[in-house]
Parts: sequence; C-alpha cells; structure tokens
Amino acid sequence: MKSNITLNDLILISPMIALFLASLIPITLKVLRGNREQNALSTLIQGLIGLVISAVLLGIFSGPAGATAFNHSLLFDGITQWMGILALSAAGGSLVLMYENPATKGNQFSELVFLTLSSSLGMLILVSAVDLLMVFIGLEMMSLSLYLMIGMSHEERLAKEAALKYFVLGGFATAIFLYGVAFIFGSTGSTNILDFLEAARGLVVTSRLFLFGITFVIIGFCFKVSIAPFHAWTPDVYQGAPTPLSGLMATAVKTVSFAAFLRIIATRSLEGSQNLFDVLQWLAVVTMIVGNVAAIMQNNLKRMIAYSSVAHSGYILVGLITAGVSEVGSFGAASVIFYLISYALMTLGCFAIISMMENSENAIINVDDLAGFARKRPLLALCFTVFLLSLAGIPPTVGFFGKFYLFNAAVGEGLLWLTVWGVINSVISVYYYLRPIVVMYMKDGEADIASHPLNATTVAVLVFAACIILLGLSSGPIFTAIEKSLM
Amino acid sequence: MLLSAIVFLPLLFALAVALWPRVNSVRPLALGFSVIEFFLSLSVLQKFDPSSAALQLVEKHLWIGRFGISYFMGIDGLSLWLVIMTTFLTPIIILASWTSIDKRIKGFHACLFILQTAMLGTFLAMDAIFYYVFWELSLVPMYFMIGIWGGPRRIYATVKFFIFTMAGSVLMLVAMIYMMYLTQEATGQMSSSLLDFYKLKIPFVGGQFLSLQTLLFFAFALAFAIKVPVFPLHTWLPDAHVEAPTPGSVVLAALMLKMGTYSFLRWVIPLFPEAAEYWAWLFMLIGVIGIVYGALVAMVQPDIKKLVAYSSVSHMGYVLLGLFTFNIFGLQGGLYQMLNHGISTGALFILIGMIYERTHSREISKYGGLAAVLPIFASFFFIITLSSIAVPMTNGFVGEFLILLGSFSAMPGYAYVAVLGVVLGAVYMLWMFKRVFFGPAGALVSDDKHPLHDLSMREIAVMVPLVIMVFWMGLFPNQFLDWSKASVTHLIKNRSAYSLAIYGATDAVPNSVTEQSAPAKEGAQ
Repeated sequence: MKSNITLNDLILISPMIALFLASLIPITLKVLRGNREQNALSTLIQGLIGLVISAVLLGIFSGPAGATAFNHSLLFDGITQWMGILALSAAGGSLVLMYENPATKGNQFSELVFLTLSSSLGMLILVSAVDLLMVFIGLEMMSLSLYLMIGMSHEERLAKEAALKYFVLGGFATAIFLYGVAFIFGSTGSTNILDFLEAARGLVVTSRLFLFGITFVIIGFCFKVSIAPFHAWTPDVYQGAPTPLSGLMATAVKTVSFAAFLRIIATRSLEGSQNLFDVLQWLAVVTMIVGNVAAIMQNNLKRMIAYSSVAHSGYILVGLITAGVSEVGSFGAASVIFYLISYALMTLGCFAIISMMENSENAIINVDDLAGFARKRPLLALCFTVFLLSLAGIPPTVGFFGKFYLFNAAVGEGLLWLTVWGVINSVISVYYYLRPIVVMYMKDGEADIASHPLNATTVAVLVFAACIILLGLSSGPIFTAIEKSLM
Repeated sequence: MLLSAIVFLPLLFALAVALWPRVNSVRPLALGFSVIEFFLSLSVLQKFDPSSAALQLVEKHLWIGRFGISYFMGIDGLSLWLVIMTTFLTPIIILASWTSIDKRIKGFHACLFILQTAMLGTFLAMDAIFYYVFWELSLVPMYFMIGIWGGPRRIYATVKFFIFTMAGSVLMLVAMIYMMYLTQEATGQMSSSLLDFYKLKIPFVGGQFLSLQTLLFFAFALAFAIKVPVFPLHTWLPDAHVEAPTPGSVVLAALMLKMGTYSFLRWVIPLFPEAAEYWAWLFMLIGVIGIVYGALVAMVQPDIKKLVAYSSVSHMGYVLLGLFTFNIFGLQGGLYQMLNHGISTGALFILIGMIYERTHSREISKYGGLAAVLPIFASFFFIITLSSIAVPMTNGFVGEFLILLGSFSAMPGYAYVAVLGVVLGAVYMLWMFKRVFFGPAGALVSDDKHPLHDLSMREIAVMVPLVIMVFWMGLFPNQFLDWSKASVTHLIKNRSAYSLAIYGATDAVPNSVTEQSAPAKEGAQ
C-alpha cells in the first residue's frame, strides 16, 4: 500500500482539518486565560464559525464527481456532501441549545464546544468513509466525544446512567460491527466497500462467511440508529442526557450513522439474500410499531420524542431498503437524505422547546407541564405545533413531503405492503403527537419558558419552524438537486 | 388567477386577523374580509360558462416537476355551487358566532379562514397531491376549533375526529402514489394530475376483491366514506358535533361533510367506473341503512344538537344513495342535496347555538312552550325544520325528490326503504319541534329569574339569508341545477371512459404535450 499523501488528499479532507483546528480554539483560549471561561457567547461563535467553515469547504470540495482520498478509503460524493452538511448544521443547532441550557452552560462550556466539534469531526469521517476500518474510526471518534459530553454535563444520576448505558451498548455494537468486518475481510480480502462492491451481490449467495459478515455489520448499525429490537438504550439515553445532547444524538449522530448504513446497503447485498431482505423489512415494520406504540404511553416529553425517533428510524429504514433494491437511479437514497433533513429540523426543534422549558439542570418536563403554554408563549407554542404536525406528516409541512418521497420510492420498487405499514403507523403516531398540542392549547396552566435569557434558542426555534414550512412548499427543487447529486 | 385568489385570500385574511392589534375590532374585520371573499367568488358565476362540461378558469403550473405534481386548479359544474356555498356561509358563521365565541377571538377567526382555504382548495384542486395537501390541512384548524372552543368532552371528540379522518386518508395517499406510477407506465411520464388519472385504464376483475381497481377504489372510498360519514364509520360525527362550538358544527356539517360526498363524485365514480358500478349496491345499501339508522337514532336523542347530528347521517345517506344511482336525477339530486343539507343543517345548528346561548342547555325535556316566548325564533326554526324534512316549496324537497326519482329508476328496492326515511325524518323533526316549542312551558322557559329574549337584529340578519336560500332553492331549482347540468350529463354519458377537457383549449393534444415536456426534461437529466 502506498503511503504518500498528495495535496489532493489534503484538499479533500480540508473540512475535517478546519474542524479540528477550530475545535482547539476555545480550549486553548481557556488554558491561556488560566483555566477561566471566556465569554460564553464568543465560545459559541468560535464553535459555529468552525462548523460553518467546515460545511462550506465540504460543499466546495465534495460533490457528485465522487473524488476519493487516502487510497480510496474516503469518498467525497453527493452523500458525503448532503449528509455531512446536514450533520454539521444539526451540530450547530445543538451548540446553540447548549449555550442556553442550564445543564450545559457554565464553566465547562469551552470543553463542550471542543467535544462537539471533535464529535462532528468523527461524523465527517463516518459519512465519507468507504473503508470499513475508517467507518470504525469515525464511529469511535464520534461516540467517545459523546460519552464524555453526557458524562460530564450533569451531576444527576440519570445522566451518569445514560452515559454508562450509551458507552456499554455503543461498545457492544461496535464489537459486533468489527466482528462482521473481520468476516468480510476473510471472504473478500479487503475491507474497502469500493473493492468488493461489484462482487458483493454474488458473494452473498455463494459465501456464507460474507453473508455473516454483512449481517453483523448491519446489526451493528441497527444498534447505532436504534432499530428495534436493538433500540432499548435510546429512550433511557435521550431522557438522561442533557436535552441539547439528546438533540445532537437524535439528529446529527443518527444522520451520519444512516449515511454509513446507506453505504453498506448500497453494496446490494439485499438482492442476493432474500432472507436478509425479509428480515430487514420486518425490522422496519417492528421498529415503526414499537416506537409509535411505546411513545403513546410516555408522559415524559423527552422520552416520547425518543420513542418517536425510534419510529422514524423505522421509516428511514424503509427508504434504505428501497435504496438497497433499486436497480437504477438514486431515488431511494435521495428520499432517505431528504427525510433525514426534515427529521433533523423537526426533532431538533422539539428538543429546543424542551430545552427552553428547563429551569434547572435536573428539570423533568412532562407532557402535562405544557398546560397553558400557548397562552403564555403563543409564538413558541405555534412553532412547537408546527414541529409536531410535521413529525406526524401533516401537509404542507416538510414532514409530509419527506414521507411522501420515502413512500413514493418504496411503491416504485414494489414495496407496497411496507408502505401500507408505514402509513398505518403514521396514523398511530398522530395520537401522541397531538397530545402536547392538546395540553398546550386546550388545558389551563402556568407553563412558561425558563427564567434565564433564551434569545439564541428562540431564534433557532423560529428558524427551524420557518424552514419546515418553506422547505415543505419548495421541496421539489431540493429533492431533485439531491437526487441529481447522487447520480 | 381568480381561483387562486379565492383559495388563498382567506389565508392572507387569517394572517391579518392573527396580527391585528386590537381585539375588539377583530369581528367586524373578519366579517368584512369574508364578505369580500363572497363577492369575489360570485365573480366566478359571471365568468363561468354553464353550457360547457369542461374544466373552466384553469390554472396549471408545475410544482414538483420530478413527480409531475402541479399546482392545478379548475372549476366545473360539480364544484361550482360548493365553492359559492363555502364563501356564502362563512360570513354567516362569523356573524352567528359574534357573542358565543368570547375567548381567543383572533385565533378563532384565523382558524376559520385557514379552514376556508383548505375547503376551497379541496373543491378546486385538480391534482392528486395538491388536493391531498388541502384535504389533510383542513383537519388542523377544525381540530383546534373543537379542541379550544368546544364543550366539556372536546378533547376526546377532537382527537377522535382527527385520527378517524387521518386513518382513512393515508390509504388514499398510498393509492394516489400507486396511480402516479400507473400514469408513468401508461404515458412514460409520471403525473398526479387528475385529468391524467382519468385517462388510465385500470384492470378490473369482477367478484375478486384483491384486484387492482377494486383495491384502489376502496382505498379512495374509505377515505371519503369516513368523511361523509357513512353508516358504520360515522361514530366520530356525533361526538364532534356535540362538543364543537356552534360555528364549528356549522362548518363541519354544512361544508366539511361535503368534501367527502363531492370527492366521491369527483374521484371515485369517474376514476373507477367498473368497480363503482360493481360495488354500487354496497354503497346504496349503506346509504339506505344510514338514512334509516340515522333517523331512528335521531328520534331518541334527548339532546337537540345530537338529534341534528344524527339527522346529518340520515341526510348524507340520501346523497350517497343519489350518487350511486348513476343517472341524471340521482346525481343532480345528490349534488342538490349537498347544498340543501349545507343550508338547512347549518341553519339548524345556528338556531340551536342561539338558544343555547340563552339557556345553556340543549336538553329537549327542559324546554316546552318556547313558541309563546320566542315567536320570531320559533318561526325561523319552523321554516328550517320544514326544509330539513323536505316539505314541497323548500329546497329539501327538490333534492330528496330527485334522489328518490333516480333511485326508483335504478334500484327500486332501495328507493322503497329510502322513502321510509322521509317519513321518519318528519317524525323526529316534528316531534322534537312539538316538544320544544309547544305544550306546557318547560323548566327553562318558565324560569322568571332568567327571562328569555327573542332574536336580536344581528341574529335575524344571520337567519334571513338562509331562509331566502331555502325558498329560492325550493321554488326555482333550475336556476341552480342548470349550472351543473352539463357536467353531470357529461359524467353520466362518459362514465366508463371519463375525461375532462380544459375550457378554451382549442386542441387538447398539443396543449397536454407542452405541459408534459417540462417534467420530461427534468427527469431526463
């Protein structure tokens, strides 16, 4: 293997380099100031600037042409571009929430910004990795930063439990993943997806070893993106973690995990193995049902959104399966990306509203605590309503169009029964998405946002809500752009 | 531009009302807006050519080129009067709710205007996805209307309403997506335009439920049947009506239910002609069951509003019966009955709201002898009752007569049972009228501490246009039926191969080619 690094490689990974350098700024400044926090706002701005520069570089240097770097182990194609920018934006949104959440602001904010940016660096590696070992590196970089962030933020027991649970199960999933990688290496002699891409379809049929390998890799990702029955950690961790970090995990982390999942599925292993195909379809159905039914029974708002995010993983898995079986075009993959964009907007919006209501770092927000919110904060209540209706898939929000493209792609590939399960589940989900709206608007109470200043989060919420409506109405060109960039 | 203006102007009004700084002048403002909207919609009548069955005042722009989804609106004889009725009733509803809605006034009027946009859009959209957007959007303002301004069990009622309707419509969405793929197979270009859907030849196997056309037919029919609502799927309606505030009930009964029956006429019958014909017996049967069941259940209701709600089930049974006769009398009658029901049931709900405001009770047994105390109210109530039970010279008679005429020539067996419904309708309405207005004065009426006042000028102003419409539509039905005749005749004649031309397009073929070339280019890239 050649080990020389060309300028081209460096240019392609410039978003990661920029992110790494930017992540050092806040902690370096803190050290230079004698371990005293600088102004939190300037820390936030440094972090955001790092993310923006990285996103711009990613937008410039990666694209449909699909350049590879470091001996074909990183691929900078349309998926990298869209999903990378989406993950960076979601991380930026979470940073804004962290800036004003009682559990994350304060004297460790610089460290949190550093960890968020280094976690984002791991995300960028994950979205661009086509070598399974690079995938592993990306996963670990992303996750290790997150374990730390969850563990250090709070003094509360639930957060520690969440961090430990996330750590143990994350490690477990990674181990399964690595086990699968070993099998794949054994049967193909390579860990690079590009190398065995052409052969994979046949190998699944002929080589038991390869089938085992790809199955383990898929199971590893099922843990990461919380597909039932591997979802059990999700509600506990999302509930226990500080709200901005739950937002980060539910959006950015999920996006990039799905990006890597998409690359595995794109090997078309599903076509070779009917069993694998059937099992994944059932997993999608079970995930949707488990997520939605369990969400109905939740009183804790964060837990409810956590289960809703499990259900949405099920919808996205439908799209992944579509992408895995479609012969021509990139409709399925594009619908997954579009859905992830819409999902990130609305889920981060929900977490932002929850974060605004938290008065102390141990606050627990139940659905009933929202009573009277609409009277006190009509604009925010309206935004929350938009998020929830979008999650439920009511037109003309972006959530409806996300589902529409996803199911349209599935029908196009003949996955009609999966689509029917999907729409039935979106009816079930309406029940619990309406509950917060009912409580906010139709019950009397004294719900209010926290007493400390929340200007940045408010702006974020308004931006999310506006994007949900505007992207909904103009979804066509965006979807076409995504689809073209994947061709 | 006219149709776009009609559909989206209320949305602007909603915004204006929501941002209006002074609460006490919101009501006149909203009333003014809705009157402007009404006059704007009247200008459609001026431009509309009643002799043509084609789609008129068409506006078509590509919206999502990738899937051939377009911003496509048009009006023909089937939708014309429903649009006018929607804009006609909105100012009346605002005037009727002048005093009964006393909290969150801005929010209420904003909801009402958004709802108006959604309903008008449903009646005018000619593209499946565009239509679906309006169809689902209509749930949200209604959900808030019942949930915020409704009665004690409002939350249960509104959630039930939302989930029932949504459950029906998601399968319709899948069917629409499937049909988009069918258009792609047939023409090579995906399209969700209703006119392209009409051109599809969907294979039909009689007697086999799992055949394509039958499945698509039921996916659509289920959505509309829940909205109408037909007999076994009607349970959300009494709950929603009883808990909704008066204006909510009026919108729900007079306008939203029509979305279901209109969609049967616009979508189900022309799109799936063989399946519709094969399963017509089923829909006529549930129509007839609805007529009798609704009437019988209405008879025993102790609550006036619930009585009227069940009478809606009965009346909508007539509409369904008429639509599935597939002859000119039945269809025209069904269409006319939609308007009648909108006027008379809307008026009944408004009247019930007026008396409820005075006594805060809707229990029939607490009334009695009301005619002596409130003579003007009693006269209005009597006229509307007559209209509801289809006495000749009122609008109800024309509709029911045409439907019965149509069903006698199509399926006499059903017509015999349906006639029973006419008698039962008279029984429950007149019996209720007797118990409320005549006899010894009831507990509420004889309460000296709270003397009842007869209708105010505002309330009379609310009722007068409705009463005028009752007689106008009853005495000169042709002035209304002539406008829809061409479209209905066209539908009946060409039912097995229905197509809808665009008015004024001299040659439809090159026109459609240019329309479709834009998405073709996008798809090729």
